[in-house]
Amino acid sequence: MDDLLKTFAISGAGMRVQGERLRVISQNIANADSLPQDPNGKPYRRQTVTFRNELDRAIGLDTVRVNKVRPDMSEFGKRYEPSHPAADADGYVLTPNVNRLVEMTDMREAQRSYEANLSVIKSSRSMLMSTIDILR
Amino acid sequence: MDLNKTTLFAAVKTRLNWLTQRQEVLAQNIANADTPRYRATDLKPFQFREILRQEKIQLNMDVTNASHQPGRRKRIRDFAEQTERHPFETSPNGNSVVLEEQMARMNETHTKHRLVTQLYKKHLAMIAQAVRSK
Repeated sequence: MDDLLKTFAISGAGMRVQGERLRVISQNIANADSLPQDPNGKPYRRQTVTFRNELDRAIGLDTVRVNKVRPDMSEFGKRYEPSHPAADADGYVLTPNVNRLVEMTDMREAQRSYEANLSVIKSSRSMLMSTIDILR
Repeated sequence: MDLNKTTLFAAVKTRLNWLTQRQEVLAQNIANADTPRYRATDLKPFQFREILRQEKIQLNMDVTNASHQPGRRKRIRDFAEQTERHPFETSPNGNSVVLEEQMARMNETHTKHRLVTQLYKKHLAMIAQAVRSK
């Protein structure tokens, strides 16, 4: 495979993992208010995503892949709401450990990385075009 | 006439190979911009002696039996890569890719690629001109 075509594969992998990351982020934000059903239940636990560098044997180069989507084991929040069905004896309800601000920042970062990969593809494409232009 | 023996065409070929490989390395860096403990790499700067290097010396040995040692399995036109020793910044997860820096390098590669291909076209046009005007 041509080297410039390989950069498409690399950047494509980069865009794919950022897309996966956005999916996890949107899942977190959507469930930011998923409270437990009863006093013993647990609210939604935030998910985190990590990446790893992996050799793609088809093109013989290192690309990027999603390592694992793991739960964030930090403490749940607490809210005083005695009327809620899931409130404990003291009247507190456990809330998900999702911080919307953190998720939004994460989303911006994913978006920025996605755009960077996209501009690599654009740049490689125009380089390829200028090489093809030699033929004319 | 072998065009590859003409100095400019040989130089263009080597230079384009270098630029293409650099684009590949930069694409890897940018794709791994959020991978923990990933270190940014770059090619060693292009030097004049690369143009003078004879590619024939670098041929890989052929293997005729499965139990033979394969020798140096390296792509012939590979240029040396290096990991940056003093990155501008390293994020808490040990990743040393600075996206802005990589974008700047990619633009530089892009511009140089354009320059080299235009140079090639110009040279070819000059030869054509010489052939036509008897």
